[in-house]
Amino acid sequence: MRQFLAVFWTEVLVNSKRVVPYALMILFTAHAILWWGWGPAVKLGWATNSEYYIVRNLTGFSFLLGLPIFTAVIMGDPVIRDFRLGIDPLIFSKPISRAQYLLGKFFGNFFVLVCCQAAFPLTLLVLQAFRTSQMVVQPVRILPYFKHFLLLVVISHLVLAAVYFTAGTLTRNSKVVFGLAACFYPLYISYGYSLKALVPRWMLLLDPFMLGLGPGGGGFEHSADFLNRYVVRYSAEMIANRGMAIVVAAVCLAILYFRFSITKRSRNVEAFSLLGLSTAAERVYYDSDSFKATAVAPYELIESHEKVILPSVKRVSEGFSANLKKLIAASRVEFRLLRAERSLIVLVPLVIFLSTLDLAFYRVVPEVSYSATYASKTANALLLCLIGVTVFYVGEAMHRDREVRIEPVLWATPARNCVLLLSKFVATLTLNLSLAAVVGVAAIAIQFLRGHYPVEIQQYLLTYTLILLPSLIFLAAASISLNVLLRDKYLAYALSIGISAGLFYLYSIGYNHWLYNPMLYRLWTYADLGGGSTQPVILIHRLYCLAIAIAFLALAHFFFKRSFRKAFLVDGRLGGAGWSLLIGVVSVSVSVIAGLVIGR
Amino acid sequence: MLVIRDLRKTYPSGVQALKGISLKINAGMFGLLGPNGAGKTTLMKIIATLLSPDSGSIEMNGADLLAREDKTRQILGYLPQDFGFYPTLTADQTLDYFAKLKGVTDKMERRALINALLERVNLTSARKQRVGGFSGGMRQRLGIAQALIGEPKLIIVDEPTAGLDPEERVRFHNLLAETASENTVVILSTHIVSDVSNLCSQMAVIRHGEILTSCTPQRALDQVRESVWEATVPLDKVSALKSHGLVISSQMFNGLARVRLISRSKRPSEEFTAVSPLLEDYYFDLVSQPERVR
Repeated sequence: MRQFLAVFWTEVLVNSKRVVPYALMILFTAHAILWWGWGPAVKLGWATNSEYYIVRNLTGFSFLLGLPIFTAVIMGDPVIRDFRLGIDPLIFSKPISRAQYLLGKFFGNFFVLVCCQAAFPLTLLVLQAFRTSQMVVQPVRILPYFKHFLLLVVISHLVLAAVYFTAGTLTRNSKVVFGLAACFYPLYISYGYSLKALVPRWMLLLDPFMLGLGPGGGGFEHSADFLNRYVVRYSAEMIANRGMAIVVAAVCLAILYFRFSITKRSRNVEAFSLLGLSTAAERVYYDSDSFKATAVAPYELIESHEKVILPSVKRVSEGFSANLKKLIAASRVEFRLLRAERSLIVLVPLVIFLSTLDLAFYRVVPEVSYSATYASKTANALLLCLIGVTVFYVGEAMHRDREVRIEPVLWATPARNCVLLLSKFVATLTLNLSLAAVVGVAAIAIQFLRGHYPVEIQQYLLTYTLILLPSLIFLAAASISLNVLLRDKYLAYALSIGISAGLFYLYSIGYNHWLYNPMLYRLWTYADLGGGSTQPVILIHRLYCLAIAIAFLALAHFFFKRSFRKAFLVDGRLGGAGWSLLIGVVSVSVSVIAGLVIGR
Repeated sequence: MLVIRDLRKTYPSGVQALKGISLKINAGMFGLLGPNGAGKTTLMKIIATLLSPDSGSIEMNGADLLAREDKTRQILGYLPQDFGFYPTLTADQTLDYFAKLKGVTDKMERRALINALLERVNLTSARKQRVGGFSGGMRQRLGIAQALIGEPKLIIVDEPTAGLDPEERVRFHNLLAETASENTVVILSTHIVSDVSNLCSQMAVIRHGEILTSCTPQRALDQVRESVWEATVPLDKVSALKSHGLVISSQMFNGLARVRLISRSKRPSEEFTAVSPLLEDYYFDLVSQPERVR
């Protein structure tokens, strides 16, 4: 028990020194305030502390707001971290059992997660003491907050936490965990659809988030008086549901216990890519064969081969042509590295599935033509998927050099900053375009198979070129500049998710304007692309979008960390910083002019 | 010739890593010796244009290396202390990539260069293997291979042999020895004294961000010649010997202690005999001086 507690408290201590838990607490508190003061309760006369509203808020909180993804952030890498930092041999050489170690890690981090989540109900609890003039507040209640939080949030996330923790620990790859987290919503929604065929009793039993709890229709189908008097009772199915959730979590942890091994995995090639050669000898990993070869040979016995003369080569490091060749070489390597990402095995089929789901399984009503409808629907769905793909892979590309420690070697080569930076942009864009091409081919195949003739390729090309291409360029450029400015992958992910969610929320409640909708979400139809009065606006908007993308790239180039001197002029010519400034100013000017034209 | 003048660097944390370093380094192998935290890596990073100094200058054959990073990188071959490669690329692909970044545009020339480099570092048979599966020594050899691309005039190798097994270490010494030439400056930064004594024609010792000495290894040995003594004594006498001079080492041998010490004034006692000095003796004598003054 002592060892378990030691691991448990160390995890709590380690997490207490990270920014993430505090950021989550602030986020959840802010959401609680938002839902309390600006939620439907105030407008519709629901009591903000009625049992119904407490449950409604908690189920929403548990499922929405990316909470399942935040669970992955906390629960995915506690064991991976030990292996990455090289603490594993120090821990496993102590008298600690597998169960003590794994359970200490799991519950330590889960405790931190629950503490973060608790910020939401605790804020709501405290807010009972405050009210605005239009707000209905019932007498203060305390127990329902704790009871429903435990049953609806903690137990639901116990299952998720166990799944993420098991996946992360067994694969020792945090990307797998984030891949699972990214798949959560599509998987859960698909699962929800499959449950709809069942009777409500079974739905309640099998829904891990118990979203069907309480009166239907999100409360909008009932009077305020009814809802304010509504008492939430847990039926036998609900209790069984919670029991099953705990059993599933236990099964996950049991599988982990039996499958967990403290030895390094031979297939984990990334682990062998690090060298720490000074004082950190433990970072130099040898594969098993090299141990056989370490019998010390006397100095004179070590083969002394003839000195190989290196051929003299011509080097061209300056000029447009030389830099272009370097950019092509670097982009090819970056793209090869992106292709080697194992997460693509999951993401590519998922993107194809989500982008063509609507076309493959539902009735397609042609607007201009079948091809135009197919192209428009896939473009819209693809854009949403590619936001996530771009943010994730730009983050990977931008931080990979530092993570595999090749950065000092690369930065000491005579390759310009623009080569190192643009290669990542080109590679990510190529990946996105490849995905778009694959989805396009899949859509054409579905159109062909469903007999929706004629298949007109030019309509796909027009839609993808005008809608997808500029949006993808914008996304990649914005993401690169965010990563350069923030210098932290996870911060960039979180901010990107936050900005995207915020924008889509604004669009969905009607605040949708061309100037802050670079993806043209819900602002176009295929008919607009082919002609008509909106076509010129769309074309100018695309120019506006590209100009902002270039400004983002110029910004990223200016702040790229490699240069310690910002040389505006070198030998009377423009230096790297000078070019960034010039291009930035020109592109901002173009975007302002285009924006003014669109605004009119 | 590489000339470093009054180089200073203080990190934002307040740590003064370099306190006015000045050095003149001729072509050939130069060893920079110093304990951990002495400022070696900071100095190497500044020369490699990866870190900016607060003040000071670095010139190579009259050209200011700090003023034009891009020009400096064209003559530079750098093997950092702590580095890795893309694990999914092969040795061949890795060298090809670095050759392209260094401006070797002709495909045939690049091919020939990579073949010769792989041959020199004895990795020809592993050229199609992913770097992620390489042992520490193999990756270190690949590291020196990438540093040699494009006939660099200034090669910086930072702690290259720490963590290598003895066989790999000797192989690496041979490789480094082959890189030094009449018009190439090779700076070897290390805390392993034998690396310097085996390889370098010039050396300097750095400590707490200051250069304690800069000379040839031969001259360094001359300074402790006829001052190094060795004896085998009972264990309980070892602590008493500290008053006779600086104890360089004390090793157990058949239940007794074999003690090596430096005493300049006289023979410490009857049981001591004079022995040939090693560079380690000079190094320990030098770096322990402040403690002795205190």
